[in-house]
Amino acid sequence: MKKNGKSLWYRIKSNSFAYYFILPTLLAMLFLHLSPIVQGIYMSFLKLNQFTLQQYLLAPFVGFENYYKVLIDAQSPIRIGLIEAVRNTIIYTVVVTFGTLAMGMIVALMLNRKFFGRSLVRTFFLFPWIVPTYVTGLLWGIIWLKEGGLVNVMLVDWLHILPFKPSWLSGPNTMWAIIIPTIWRYWPLSMLMLLAGLQTIPDELYEAADIDGASPWRKFWMITWPMLRPVWFILILFGLIYNTYSFNIVIMMFGFGAGFPGEWGDLMMTNIFRNSFQLWNFGTGAATSVLLLVVMIAIVNVWFRYFKQAEELR
Amino acid sequence: MNLSYYAKKRITDIIISIIMLALLAITLLPIGWMVFSSLKSSTDIAIGRVGLSHNVEGKVDIRWQNYVDMWKNVNFGLYLRNSLVICGFTMFFAMVFATFAAYALSRFKFPGADLFSNATLATQMIPMIMYLIPIYIMFVKFTMMTGIPVKGTFPGIILIYSAWFLPFSIWILRGFFAAIPKELEEAALIDGCSRLRVFWHIALPLAMPGIIATGIYVFLNAWDELMFAWVLTSADTMTIPVGIRLFVGNYQNRFDLMMAAATVATIPVVVLFFLLQRHIVRGLTAGAVKG
Repeated sequence: MKKNGKSLWYRIKSNSFAYYFILPTLLAMLFLHLSPIVQGIYMSFLKLNQFTLQQYLLAPFVGFENYYKVLIDAQSPIRIGLIEAVRNTIIYTVVVTFGTLAMGMIVALMLNRKFFGRSLVRTFFLFPWIVPTYVTGLLWGIIWLKEGGLVNVMLVDWLHILPFKPSWLSGPNTMWAIIIPTIWRYWPLSMLMLLAGLQTIPDELYEAADIDGASPWRKFWMITWPMLRPVWFILILFGLIYNTYSFNIVIMMFGFGAGFPGEWGDLMMTNIFRNSFQLWNFGTGAATSVLLLVVMIAIVNVWFRYFKQAEELR
Repeated sequence: MNLSYYAKKRITDIIISIIMLALLAITLLPIGWMVFSSLKSSTDIAIGRVGLSHNVEGKVDIRWQNYVDMWKNVNFGLYLRNSLVICGFTMFFAMVFATFAAYALSRFKFPGADLFSNATLATQMIPMIMYLIPIYIMFVKFTMMTGIPVKGTFPGIILIYSAWFLPFSIWILRGFFAAIPKELEEAALIDGCSRLRVFWHIALPLAMPGIIATGIYVFLNAWDELMFAWVLTSADTMTIPVGIRLFVGNYQNRFDLMMAAATVATIPVVVLFFLLQRHIVRGLTAGAVKG
C-alpha cells in the first residue's frame, strides 16, 4: 500500500514535464469547458430571462419549473414547439446518418477500382464537403425556390416528372429540404474514410471468395462490411452526434438566416437557439440542452455497448 | 450470347463509369447553380425566371457587376477581414496549446493521462448551445462588473473559439505524434539532450506537416462557425456567416449579391483545401482506419 503511494508520487514527479505541457489545455478545459457546463446545469434550475439576466447565478431559483415547462406542462408553448423539433431531429438524424453512409459506401466502392483519372474524380467528389455549411444552407435556399429553383426546374420543366411545382420550404416537404442538402454536404467525408478503409482489405479475401463462387452481394456482406467495421463505427457515432446538433444548414435555409424553419423543419438546435437568444428564455433553454445532453450520453453509451457485444460475438 | 470473362468485366466497368460520372455531375450541379445565380439579376431570381438575365435591350447580360457591388451593398470587406483575423488567431492558439498537450499525451504515461484524454473526447458530445448560454451571460456580467467589454470583441470570440477547437485538435495531433518513432528522441535523450530540446528540435519538426494540416482544418471549421459568432460578435467584429445574412432582410432582397458573396466566401476554403489536400486527407483517415 505504502509502496503503491510512493510509486504514484514518483510517477507524478518523473512526469512533471508532461504536466507543464498539458497545463494550458487543462486551464482552458476547466474554465471554458467544465465551468460553463456546470453553470449551464445550474442555470436550468433558475428563472433566467432578459429581466433577471444581470443577476447571473443569483437569479431566482425555481427548482424543476423549467423542466416541468419543457416536459410536462401541456399548455406551455415551449413544449408544443419542442415535440415537433424532437420528432424532426430524430427523423433527420437517422436519415442523414445512414444516407451519408450509404451514399459514401456506393461511391467508395465505385472508386475502389483502377481506372484512368481516379484521383481527379475523387477530388471532385470531395467538393461539396469543402463548401461551408452556412453557404450550403443559403445555396439550397435558392435551389429549393418554388419558381425558378433548380429542383423544380429540373423535375418539372426539364424532366416532366412532376405535373406541378411543389413548394419545398413549407409544409411536410421541408423535411426533404433539410435532409438532402445535409447528405449532399457530408457524404464525401464518409466516402473518403470508407475508401481508405477499403484499401486496407487484402485482395486474397476476395480471391478466395471468387474461387468459392460467391456473389458480389454476398462478398460485400461477408467481407467488405465486417472489415470496414472500425470505419462505420466511427462514422455512425459521429453522424448521430453531429446531426443531432445540426444548426447552420437549417437556420440559413429558411428566410436566409432570419426565418422560422416551420413545424417540419425545426430541429433541436434551432429550437433551443430561438428560445434562448430570440425569446430570451435562458432557463428553459438550459434545461432543454441538459435533457438533450442526457439523451446523447445514453445513445453514445448504447452504441459503444452494442459495438463491444458485437465484437465479443465475433 | 456468350461473352468472355474479360468482355463482361469491361462492360461492367463502362456501366459503372457512366453511373459515376452522372453522380459526379449531380454532385457538382448545386455549386454550379450558386455561381450561375450570382451572375443573374436579383429580380430574375426572385420571380423565378430561368436562364441568364437580359438587359433592357434584350441582350444577354452576365452580371459580373454583382462581384463589385457585393463589397459596397453591405460591408463585406470588413466581415472578410474579421473572419480572417478571428480564424487566424484561433488556429494559432489552438495549435500551440494542442501541440503541447498532444505531445505530452503521446509520449508520457503520467497519472491522470487517461482521465484527461477521455475528458477531451467527452466534450465532443456536449451541445454547443450548452456552452453558449452560460458564456453569453458570463460575458455580459463580466462587462457589467469590470467595465471591460468582452462580448463583441476579438479577444472574446478568439478565446472561446480556441477553447472550442482544442479537444478536436488534440485528438488529431495525437495520431501524428504517435506515428513518429520514439527511438530518435530516446537516442537524443541518452546523448544528454534536455526534454525540451528533444521536443523542440526533433519531435516538432517531424510533426510539422501534421500540425499544419490540423491547423488548416481548425481554420476551415472556424470559418464555418455560425452559432457562437451570431451571439458573441457585434457589428464591428461580425464574421462572414453572420454578415452575409444582411443581403436579404427587411430592407432588401439581393439574392444575386448573396450568391456572389457565398462564392467569394467559398474560394479561400477551396484554395486552402486543395493546397493541403493530401495532408488533411491523411490526417482524417489515419484515425479511422486504425480504429
